[in-house]
Amino acid sequence: MSRKILHGPDDLEPFAGELPHLTDALSRRINTDQEGLERGLAQLVLTIVELLRQLMERQALRRIDGGALSEEQVERLGSTFMELDKRMEQLRHEFGLEEEDLNLNLGPLGNLL
Amino acid sequence: MIELFAIAEYPGPPLPALAPLRAVRAGSLAAICAPAEGVKVTPEALWRHEQVVEALMEDRDLLPVRYGTLVDDDAAAVRAVDARRDELSAALDRVRGAVELSVRAVGDPEDGDGEAAGGRGYLRTKMRSAAAQESVTLSLHKPLAALARADMRRSPRPPSELLRAAYLVDRDAIGAFTRLVARLDDRHPGLQLLCTGPWPPYSFAEA
Amino acid sequence: MTSILERDVALIDVVDRLLGGGVVIAGDITLAVADVDLVYVSLRALITSVATAEEKQLLPRMGSAV
Repeated sequence: MSRKILHGPDDLEPFAGELPHLTDALSRRINTDQEGLERGLAQLVLTIVELLRQLMERQALRRIDGGALSEEQVERLGSTFMELDKRMEQLRHEFGLEEEDLNLNLGPLGNLL
Repeated sequence: MIELFAIAEYPGPPLPALAPLRAVRAGSLAAICAPAEGVKVTPEALWRHEQVVEALMEDRDLLPVRYGTLVDDDAAAVRAVDARRDELSAALDRVRGAVELSVRAVGDPEDGDGEAAGGRGYLRTKMRSAAAQESVTLSLHKPLAALARADMRRSPRPPSELLRAAYLVDRDAIGAFTRLVARLDDRHPGLQLLCTGPWPPYSFAEA
Repeated sequence: MTSILERDVALIDVVDRLLGGGVVIAGDITLAVADVDLVYVSLRALITSVATAEEKQLLPRMGSAV
């Protein structure tokens, strides 16, 4: 088998982070009909939800940057988004979806998220 | 059932022997396939499949097909190719004479250094990583993309991955590209870069 | 000879490509959620054409939210 590494550090560990979890994720990939269909729909829906969540977060960050919000408002916004983030993680987990599953690859435009 | 490996031009050079491959003709294109043996999503199965596509790529331009694509029979393969003939031909033209190189960059995640916990801390971390992302785009992705025919960014994996991208590079520019990766690595002591390839043009097979 | 770690690290790139890239063809795809990719292919074609139209000033720009 040929080498695939054209350039890299002596210690490759920093690039091996997602490995243990990868083989796990791989085995969940085989379609089991109904389950696959449900997961497919969940993926679509959650992708849109995730898009909205990120848009809102970005908006909020811009407003904070612009100095338009009070300390208290910033704290509340932050906590809300933190909660949302956790909820999304739970939902993803329930459907066996990874972060990368919630994405649209737009070719030359890169990824949606 | 048959498993699809790649779309290439028809006619083409003889197929490599490492799998029972056949080139099913669909006009001026061919769907290169083999009898389906059940789709397993294990590292071994993925590497084996990749080996076949790379062997094919040694002497022809091709569009690799998503792993696990099975169709009923030759006629179904022909129908599938016919349905997207123009796009597939255009994509094949775009990748002609080029390979895909992958670049990932990791850096130390910014430390808290006494930042607020809770809501503010959450947002501040977000801001920091957005800033780090932008800086990496300018300092790494842009110069790399300039040496490539096309580029595609994937979502980097938090917390420490700052770049995960694919570049469509002319075969004879692989050396120059790799040397640029090395230079960028030197120039940014806080980052580590990994370049792998050559890969078949998976990230550029769809528009 | 490649070390195990080298193979493993490269596996990440293999997975990104084989499972997340490549031509998506209407077939009896046995990978989970792959049918959904066909929707994505169409959506992407639509979004790309909108973005191109915006660039060419044929369409007004989308809102500042994005």
